[in-house]
Amino acid sequence: MKKLFLIVRSNMRKAKGQTTAIIVLILLAAMLLNLWLILSIDYQANFDRYHDKLNAEHVTLTVDDNDGKIKKVLSETLNSDNNVAEYLLDTCMHMTGTLPYNGGDMNSWFVFINKQTALTRSVGRTELVEEGNVSSGVYLPMLYKTNEIEVGKPIELSIGSHTVTYTVCGFFNSVMAGSNNCSITEIILTEDKYTELEHLGYASRATLCSVRLQDKSDNINYEAALKSLISKSYPNANMISNSYDMVLQARYISQSICSAIMNVMALLVLLIALIVIASNIINYIQINIKNLGALKAIGYTSRQLIGLLLLQFLGLTLFTAIIGSGLSYCFFPAVNTMMISQTGIPYAIHFLPLPLILSLFILGGAVAVAVWLAARRIKKIEPITALRSGIQTHNFKCNHIPLEETKAPLHLALALKTTLSGAKHNITICITMLILSLIVVFSGLMTANMLVDTTPFITLIVGETADCCISIDPKFEDEFLQKMNNDDRVEKIYLQTSVSVTHSNETELLATLCDDFSQVNNQHVIYKGRFPKYDNEIAIGAKYAREKGLAIGDEIAITAKGKTEKYLISGFTQITNYLGRDCLFTRSGYERLGTISATNYYINLTSDTDIDAFNAEITRNYAKNIYTTINIQSTVESSANVYISLMTIIVIAILVLSIIIIVFVLYLLVRTMLNNKKCDYGIMKALGFTTRQLILQTALSFMPAIILSSIVGLIVSCFIINPLLSLFFSTLGIIKCSFAVPVGFITITGIGLILFTFAIACLLSLKIKKITPKALLSGE
Amino acid sequence: MKKIVLQTEKLSKSFSNGGTMQHVLKNIDLQLYKGDFTVIMGASGAGKSTLLYALSGMDTPTLGTITFGDQVISALSQDGLAVFRRDHCGFVFQQIYLIDGMSVMDNVLSSGLLVSKDKKALVARAKELFAAVDISETTQKKFPTQISGGEAQRVGIVRALINSPDILFADEPTGALNSKTGLNVLDTLTKFNEQGQSVVMVTHDMRSARRGNRILYLKDGVILGECDLGTYSHGDMQRHEKLSTFLKEMGW
Repeated sequence: MKKLFLIVRSNMRKAKGQTTAIIVLILLAAMLLNLWLILSIDYQANFDRYHDKLNAEHVTLTVDDNDGKIKKVLSETLNSDNNVAEYLLDTCMHMTGTLPYNGGDMNSWFVFINKQTALTRSVGRTELVEEGNVSSGVYLPMLYKTNEIEVGKPIELSIGSHTVTYTVCGFFNSVMAGSNNCSITEIILTEDKYTELEHLGYASRATLCSVRLQDKSDNINYEAALKSLISKSYPNANMISNSYDMVLQARYISQSICSAIMNVMALLVLLIALIVIASNIINYIQINIKNLGALKAIGYTSRQLIGLLLLQFLGLTLFTAIIGSGLSYCFFPAVNTMMISQTGIPYAIHFLPLPLILSLFILGGAVAVAVWLAARRIKKIEPITALRSGIQTHNFKCNHIPLEETKAPLHLALALKTTLSGAKHNITICITMLILSLIVVFSGLMTANMLVDTTPFITLIVGETADCCISIDPKFEDEFLQKMNNDDRVEKIYLQTSVSVTHSNETELLATLCDDFSQVNNQHVIYKGRFPKYDNEIAIGAKYAREKGLAIGDEIAITAKGKTEKYLISGFTQITNYLGRDCLFTRSGYERLGTISATNYYINLTSDTDIDAFNAEITRNYAKNIYTTINIQSTVESSANVYISLMTIIVIAILVLSIIIIVFVLYLLVRTMLNNKKCDYGIMKALGFTTRQLILQTALSFMPAIILSSIVGLIVSCFIINPLLSLFFSTLGIIKCSFAVPVGFITITGIGLILFTFAIACLLSLKIKKITPKALLSGE
Repeated sequence: MKKIVLQTEKLSKSFSNGGTMQHVLKNIDLQLYKGDFTVIMGASGAGKSTLLYALSGMDTPTLGTITFGDQVISALSQDGLAVFRRDHCGFVFQQIYLIDGMSVMDNVLSSGLLVSKDKKALVARAKELFAAVDISETTQKKFPTQISGGEAQRVGIVRALINSPDILFADEPTGALNSKTGLNVLDTLTKFNEQGQSVVMVTHDMRSARRGNRILYLKDGVILGECDLGTYSHGDMQRHEKLSTFLKEMGW
């Protein structure tokens, strides 16, 4: 064993450069793998820990309840339900509203609750995380703490069509109502401000119902059942709800995306590392064929020699993976801060043994398999043959580019000869460049559709957008429409109201109603089939349809306000609202179930109109009949900014990673080539080739594989990127991504990538300068 | 009056060996003449190969100058030396050093195309040279490991001559060959010399040295003596005796 260790040490000393490059690749893979595993294994588990810590509910419902009758109904129902483990009913106020967030406005359904009640709730408790000396004002979810929103600073909240200004007293954590992704945003008011708001009447009196279930997996069905129960008796009561599964998924969208990207990157880096290791071993066998023959001659078995390589690479991998996993904790605080700003759930960084063990297992296993596959050829080495002549490494069957016949210039022809004789190098380059091409296309697509022009991303993620949304009393509808149609600033106005319905009495769907869907701005919401046109038609979320096995033309039962009707599926939508559990009706279609209690109109304004000023004017002129006004552009901007900042970091990170990968892969290949061809370079220098010519030849010899695989990679990636992203976003309800592929940008980046690799190959080949003909002749 | 092709002035070469300087060549003044077959002889470690490398621009001297025509080659950069070698020199090595990954023909053309752009003429010259050294067309298409050592060395000679060099440098060209193939290679060199090719050959083999018309004997980094053997003719015993006497005088 000691002898084996000595041989391993000697091998590693001889190939310091290659060993360093492999260490860097394994280090990167281990870091990404460990981060991905931490995010996947523990991050969402942290949600559960927090959920348990605050004894949070599995279903939250807030419903209009001016006189306490609904509270009574809920109390009776929940008391007698064996599925309910625990529940709490509290009085609150609720209303749609906005608050400034991320450079725009955040629109949500606000639930106002007084401080004393909020902090003492037995179910769905909140936890104060920051509190100043301000005795009167508002407490906000921790997620909204920014430079602009701080303790002691004033904040302007819009509640319905009214605006109020409070002083920020502090921040709190709430698991089920602490983020704009939760449907409900809890706002805690001090006693005096709560009473003041009650007197102002800007928000409706309501009952806040928090239910913990015996079996939390029933949460979605239970939410639908609870809403169905209320809507049967109180069809016009405003109610908003959320459930454990929906909140978990919604709050962790960014984490899921980030985690998936890390996973993909980790596996890609690992794949490259494996190819590099395999190529290194094959090369090692070729160079050391005589030594290996000698070792066999003195009694070493093939198994021992393969074991030697396993020991070398596995030892290196495991050691590096431990360091890489450790290093991932250095980057984790930055990732954690980014994630917390998206999830709003605090996460305390701590050492996790399971991700480390899994990382070691995955990396070790993969490297062991790669080493074994590459080292198998040692079995074929016969000591005598190896000692006498070694194994011929050149393919003598065919002279691919005879200089006598080729029209290519000398250096290009010689470079091509090298290219054609290096199959292993070409495979390594091709796989690396194919992967990098995909990364380039992904980055290009994200840059063009998310960073440069946000519209395509917003259209896909947010669904329908306009300039503003005005919610009005249905009785005022005709007069309002007439006034709007006569207003020159209004380009287009159309109904876009959201209500809640239940499918088959078990799953709640978010329904969007419109008089005429041909009016909506985003015609891409339907990805298959068509918008509903007649009152017996419905379009449903494609993700939900897949889950339930529904097809276009199927008839489904929809329940709302205690009434059930059947509808034909006319098409599939892909909207991230409610994570794909959504549907579309025409107004007349929905009215078969009941009337609309509030009508929301989406308005496109002329480009020179100030949206906020327009909303303020509408509120001033028709205050009694206006429930709320929303600046959609501002709301969308604040939501999009979250994703944009996340994607900017991701794009930069993967581009940096790509550069590191390409540099190290090329470094390994160039080093291997220089080692293999050291003698040839010496001869060529003796014959009169200059260093510059040989550097050019070396760099050029990589280019056919680089150019070919880049072109193929970029073209294939352009075709597969949208289906891949669809797969990526499928958990959000996106089934078919149709981002415009920025061909020009990708072409330029592709050319840049090729030129960059050429420049790097030239730089790495500078070592040729040190090869002298004299060294060749004196046997150095 | 013979024309000088290459000359040295106070040529010295020293190496650092374990902290101490080892002076391998000491103030050598030498002229090489056009059309000569100059043979450099000496015992092992005398500095024969070092002198050859310095003369051919493979290595740079520590002191002194080497001049080719008006060009001081000892002042050239590495790339300048490479250009000098390809334009004016041809090399035949003891270890042959053909490039394994290239066919016999490509080994020759890769060197030729560095200088000549006229591929047609170059291929014709290569074929002519191959014919002269008795390398068949089939062998020309083979790879170096598929041919014998003698054939490989003859290919090496063709490669060295493809650019019609001013001087052909040969470092122990028969050192790695058996006596029969070695003789064949010497005949080839002699033949080209008879056609006017200047040759500088390092050897410690008397049989090889006999092919030269000018013998230089190197000892401890200095040219100890010089012998003019005259034009080579096969079976000339007088040449053999003259050389033997010279070498004896030199302490061979």
